[in-house]
Amino acid sequence: MASTGSNSSVQGADVPASRADIVVALTSHNDVRTIGAVARALRDGLARYFASSAVRFVLADAGSTDGTREAAREAVGPSALMEVEYERGAEELGKLPYHGHPGRAAALRAILQTAQGLGAGACAVIDAGLHTVEPAWIERLIVPVLTDKFDYVSPYYVRHANEGAITKSIVYPMFRALYGVRLRQPAASEFGCSGRLVAHYLEQDFWDVEQAAAGIDLWLAVAAACGEFRTCEAVLGARVAATRGTPVDLSTILAQVVGALFTDLEHRVDVWQRVRGSAAIPIFGTVPGIGPEAPPLNVDGLMESFRLGYRELREIWTWVLPPRTIVELRKLTETVPNRFRFDDRLWASIMYDFVLGYSLRVMPRDHLLRSLTPLYAGWLASFVLQMGSATLAQIEERVEQVCLGFESEKRYLISRWRWPERLR
Amino acid sequence: MRRTGNADDPLWYKDAIIYELPVKSFCDGNEDGVGDFQGLHEKLDYLQNLGVTCLWLLPFFPSPLKDDGYDIADYVNVHPSYGTLDDFKKFLQAAHERGLQVVIELVLNHTSDQHPWFQRARSAPPGSPERDYYVWSDTDQLYQQARIIFVDAERSNWTWDPVAQAYYWHRFFQHQPDLNYDNPAVVREMLAVLDFWLDLGVDGFRIDAVPYLVERDNTSCENLPETHAIMKAIRAHIDARAPGRMLLAEANQLPADVRAYFGDGDQCHMAYHFPVMPRIFMALHLEDRQPITDVMEQTPPIPDSCQWALFLRNHDELTLEMVTDDERDYMYLAYSMDPQARLNLGIRRRLAPLVGNSRPRIELLVGLLFSFPGTPIIYYGDEIGMGDNLYLGDRNGVRTPMQWTGDRNAGFSRADPARLYSPVVMDPVYGYPAVNVEAQESDAASLLYWMRNMIRLRKLFKVFGRGTMEFLSPANRKVLAYLRRYREGVILCVANLSRTVQPAELDLSAFAGLTPVEMLGYTEFPTIGTLPYFLTLGPYGFYWFELERSGS
Repeated sequence: MASTGSNSSVQGADVPASRADIVVALTSHNDVRTIGAVARALRDGLARYFASSAVRFVLADAGSTDGTREAAREAVGPSALMEVEYERGAEELGKLPYHGHPGRAAALRAILQTAQGLGAGACAVIDAGLHTVEPAWIERLIVPVLTDKFDYVSPYYVRHANEGAITKSIVYPMFRALYGVRLRQPAASEFGCSGRLVAHYLEQDFWDVEQAAAGIDLWLAVAAACGEFRTCEAVLGARVAATRGTPVDLSTILAQVVGALFTDLEHRVDVWQRVRGSAAIPIFGTVPGIGPEAPPLNVDGLMESFRLGYRELREIWTWVLPPRTIVELRKLTETVPNRFRFDDRLWASIMYDFVLGYSLRVMPRDHLLRSLTPLYAGWLASFVLQMGSATLAQIEERVEQVCLGFESEKRYLISRWRWPERLR
Repeated sequence: MRRTGNADDPLWYKDAIIYELPVKSFCDGNEDGVGDFQGLHEKLDYLQNLGVTCLWLLPFFPSPLKDDGYDIADYVNVHPSYGTLDDFKKFLQAAHERGLQVVIELVLNHTSDQHPWFQRARSAPPGSPERDYYVWSDTDQLYQQARIIFVDAERSNWTWDPVAQAYYWHRFFQHQPDLNYDNPAVVREMLAVLDFWLDLGVDGFRIDAVPYLVERDNTSCENLPETHAIMKAIRAHIDARAPGRMLLAEANQLPADVRAYFGDGDQCHMAYHFPVMPRIFMALHLEDRQPITDVMEQTPPIPDSCQWALFLRNHDELTLEMVTDDERDYMYLAYSMDPQARLNLGIRRRLAPLVGNSRPRIELLVGLLFSFPGTPIIYYGDEIGMGDNLYLGDRNGVRTPMQWTGDRNAGFSRADPARLYSPVVMDPVYGYPAVNVEAQESDAASLLYWMRNMIRLRKLFKVFGRGTMEFLSPANRKVLAYLRRYREGVILCVANLSRTVQPAELDLSAFAGLTPVEMLGYTEFPTIGTLPYFLTLGPYGFYWFELERSGS
């Protein structure tokens, strides 16, 4: 990793160029349409909230060819921007992670190393491909660190029922049940962190793991949750991202996100098997109401995908799911749409059975993860059918029930993990 | 890499589960009837799935093989029967890629009489540097207080060499002359050997026959201060050149004597706890915990960075050197009614035949092995309950080919059966058609599955490798109960050493208010109160409990 560009402060604090109080980092890949607005919003936020602090902008760009870097320099001023270079890995260029940012783990590592080198007390990381960044994000991500001594600030995004559904259905409930921290968006690309946590992150051994490109954001949240760090959430409103390249299909996204979650938890068994229950964490900012327009979703198609999956993949599922679960799934396939409900504990036990199958390598891991897609489709159909016109509070309440299902079934996961029973 | 062979944790050996194997016995990759590194490489996935974390390879160096490779003729190469140095490098890399560490043998005490050093020494003039690589004498009356170890094979520790016209010293077979560690050149040679393998990336060395390095008259020639000085020098060399690599001492001595090989944490990282092993078997047969509690109470504390290596069976006989005469007589009667099973001062049998192929007894013994303070070592084939062949000489009966399948040669080799280095076990109970990996892979109730689960479970709890141990004293002596503690965690282990159901009343009042959670099934038991805690244990049953705060 090497750094180029000037180290001059964005704002006029009179400190050495090699030091910074705050680092604001952008990760980008062909984001010329958005990066200028993002950088200007952040610059304005810094001017508004941290006028007397020494601040550095850091850009970790994944080899953009559309003028992203130039747009960033123009937005914050070329002398104010540190551009970090990093190895993206040749193999990743042909296998883009779901977020569209090749080499993201290396990018974040380079950013954190830079922040550490500058002695920053706080660091905020923001994806440059967003349409919804506002100056207030700076306050929300940095103030809890510098003023309230939190170590990890996770974004709280306002989302409709069918937005961020993998997080609602799997990542958040499982993260919360495993690590005991009620952190709603643990795989978000944006976060704030303390210098102390930066040092801890850089000591972790996951940076070069194969799934790091897709899983690094989640792993950072897990590392914070597993350590002695203070964690909070910050309301950032809506998160609307520009599409990077060809959209990744659902099956691949699931395999990448869930695979990253499963891979990491294998290495943290000694933590999650000792965590009981979960604890709420502070949330900064006021949660606004949800917008009226939810993206359309073909619920009938999801249900049909579930039924088709049951017919075609049941044989595979029997490698990981016990007979009673298969019977429950069969009953669901025969349920009429207005009564179609995925029981929370059933869903949790399915996910836990998949965790175990993944760990035991009962079949190639990618095959196993992709076979999850119709089950997820069934869960999502059930969720949307229940939450179609719900308020944000009602959605939160429903997600809470899902989480409680994961927490109550955690005993099942532990007992099966400790003494696995082969089904086939 | 998240986990590499050379683990970042310098105390990695404390949490390891070691699997001991002879390369020649594991898998034959080139179809010549002898196991080799190519075959072992092919079986690494099996070992990874078994869950072991470290492989201990028996000697694989060029050798006349008169003592199964412990008679080394070249320390820095691979015996051609097992492959090439390049094969070893490929194997080592593949093992590390799977998170498996590799420990190899370092036979410091002696070489083969075919080693160039010995051939040179016997022809060199007395007093010359070449001659001084070994221990010579004009008489065989020196060091008379040193015992003979292989009593069935050797009458003296001295053997006349007609070429040298002198006696040479050997604590083991006469074809294994002892090196002379009073000669600094020998120490330098051995450090160079260490460096060779360290540079290739091996993770540790098992130091064979460590108590016998130095001789002095009017002593037992065992555990001498000069020997410890050599070990300190080796340790310092390793720490300087390759920190994190491990030294495991083979010192078949009483615990108090073995303790010295840890030094102040500046000699060996690990040492075998030889005395506990026969006493575990004795306690099982007596259905009485006392042999175990006695030996554990006689075991001195060791430095924090050090660790005991524990085993039930290995490539040698079940040694009875470190028990009393009465105990030895009892063990012979209990475990080797067939005189063929006796060798030297021990019993040359595998685990399953020793306990009458009783699955509950095997499980109990493994349960004890895994929950005693130390790092467990599993001998290859014991995870499937392999048997032995008493009609093969020396200790070869427990070194037969690994039984992979029910096919020809037990799936060990595709060679003509007549070419195998050893016949496979073929008896009706333990023979390869009945006992093999393939069959047990397809049987979820098999010993192999059970072992995998136990290994997986054991690895979840650092307390087993790192925690303290204290015994409870229930009135029923057929029940062995002990606490393991590490940091905040407390584990209660309870074992029934008898063939019948047993009650136990445990004084757990110090833990009143805590809830025992049975670890295998994650099942909560009644909360501990101030009265004795009552448990009922099935025949050979054992439980492990985490003591947790209620509702935590």
